[in-house]
Amino acid sequence: MSAGGPGGEAHGGVAPGKMIAFGVLGGLIGIYAAHFLSIINPAFSFIGALGAICAIVWGADAVRRVCSYGLGTGVPSIGMIALGMGVIASLFGLAVGGIAGPIVALIAASIIGLVIGLLANKVLGMNIPIMEKSMVEIGGAGALAIVGLSTTMAGTFMFDEVLALVVAPGYIAVIFIAGGMGILHPFNACLGPDEEQDRTLAVAFEKGGIAMIIAGIVSMVVSTTAAIPTIMIGAFIWYISFAKFYELTKRDAYKVLGTGLLPTEEELQ
Amino acid sequence: MEPLIGMGVLALMGAAATVAGASEDLESDVGSQSNPNSQVQLAPQMMYPHRIYNKAISGEPPSNALMCAVGGTVATVLMSAYNMSPVFAIAMGALIAALVHGTYSVTAFFGRPTSQKRFKQPVYLDILWSHTPVIMGYSYITTFCILVISYLMVAVLGHPFPLPLLAFIWGIAIGAVGSSTGDVHYGAEREFQSVEFGAGLNAANSGNIVRKGESGLRNGFDNSWFCAKFGGPVTGIAFGMVVFLSGWVTTVFDPARGDAIGWLSVVAGAFLVFIMILWNRKIEVAARAAYGPYKEDEVAA
Repeated sequence: MSAGGPGGEAHGGVAPGKMIAFGVLGGLIGIYAAHFLSIINPAFSFIGALGAICAIVWGADAVRRVCSYGLGTGVPSIGMIALGMGVIASLFGLAVGGIAGPIVALIAASIIGLVIGLLANKVLGMNIPIMEKSMVEIGGAGALAIVGLSTTMAGTFMFDEVLALVVAPGYIAVIFIAGGMGILHPFNACLGPDEEQDRTLAVAFEKGGIAMIIAGIVSMVVSTTAAIPTIMIGAFIWYISFAKFYELTKRDAYKVLGTGLLPTEEELQ
Repeated sequence: MEPLIGMGVLALMGAAATVAGASEDLESDVGSQSNPNSQVQLAPQMMYPHRIYNKAISGEPPSNALMCAVGGTVATVLMSAYNMSPVFAIAMGALIAALVHGTYSVTAFFGRPTSQKRFKQPVYLDILWSHTPVIMGYSYITTFCILVISYLMVAVLGHPFPLPLLAFIWGIAIGAVGSSTGDVHYGAEREFQSVEFGAGLNAANSGNIVRKGESGLRNGFDNSWFCAKFGGPVTGIAFGMVVFLSGWVTTVFDPARGDAIGWLSVVAGAFLVFIMILWNRKIEVAARAAYGPYKEDEVAA
């Protein structure tokens, strides 16, 4: 028995194509804008985290689509594999790509995702129709989330700086887990037969806001000028998306009660 | 380093780990997380609505890794950028981690029951307001203790990994230990207190968790009260042993003193694992003897 719902195609809401465009374009524009504008003023490094939020929301939507096929307890695993692919691809991309690093990282993550998707479907026999496509998306989202948050922390995506300011001090660990939880948690939190896309993605924005705040705290090491706008904008995004999530909860829940007894037998019929 | 100082530090780490293990397990019991939560999730579907917190953040290892990595990151930033004292930095790191963990708990609490609208599971706000601070309190204790362990490893034992990475790894480890050790006590003994001891979970009982408490309707506090008697402490001992024994072999047989001694530490580790396999087997056999045999599976004719 699946506790995760009917086990079929995810329904309703914004089309997958739009979400992919939002994640890829938003992610890359954010990362490049942060990189180039930070040269003018470090305060602009927060834009990288906005790109990471786009990628996290896209990744959460891809997780939602693939996990709707009854992957109840597999949701956290898929989020972790997203960032596993993302870490390898982003370090590879930034190391060899130079100024094209984020794009190389995205392509490398997509290739790793495709291989993992093929292995899952063809070798392990999971037979989920959209597995290959979803793993490509999840890998790409993971890579962009990592590069975006790293760019905000370091103020650049140049490999040497990222290695010295993000990887060597161990902050890559918090990027890995905050980005991964941002991608896996929204669907895991809203799992159930009456899950709705807008409510799930509101959680993705909210978790993206938390990742942004943490990236802002880390960027204090580089520059306080970069840290303050990042933390404040992250907190603002967190508040707005949490308020939206609570509003959608009240819209979708059977009842939101201050307190009360359990529903009666008659009520359950 | 003097071996005696090494052993002292190790003892302190073991003590912190024991506290962390107990608080980690009780934190997962108050909110109901990990494996036992699948029954809390299933209950409304089987017509058993309840007033138990549904904290489906993720499995315990990722959620603990998150709070420990966040705590380790904030502590490192405060120590490196602002030269703050380690005690203050660790306390602040644990505070931010507890706040982040609290938001994750709240989104899971709202999200899961709301997605069960068709099974008529209400969202009870008094459960949210009463349980979330307790969850955050436990997560603070867990993160604080894990950061103490990680800091001692870096600052005193000279571990080459940076603090956030060590905290992340210990976060995964404590989540894994809490999930494998403490969950049984909550999931099997508390949620299914109404069935015979050792009966296992019959498919017909799926979702039929105990929903009425010693007084009123059962909630997460009742569960943590019960688990604090055995499940929490035993998780603490398990994690304390993991930290203490895994450090003990390399403190006594320090690989820095030569390759041969390094290999001795590997042998000592393997020996400890072997002893514990035997010990576990004896406990299981003794428990079966004391509490009656499992019912034989009925073989289909």
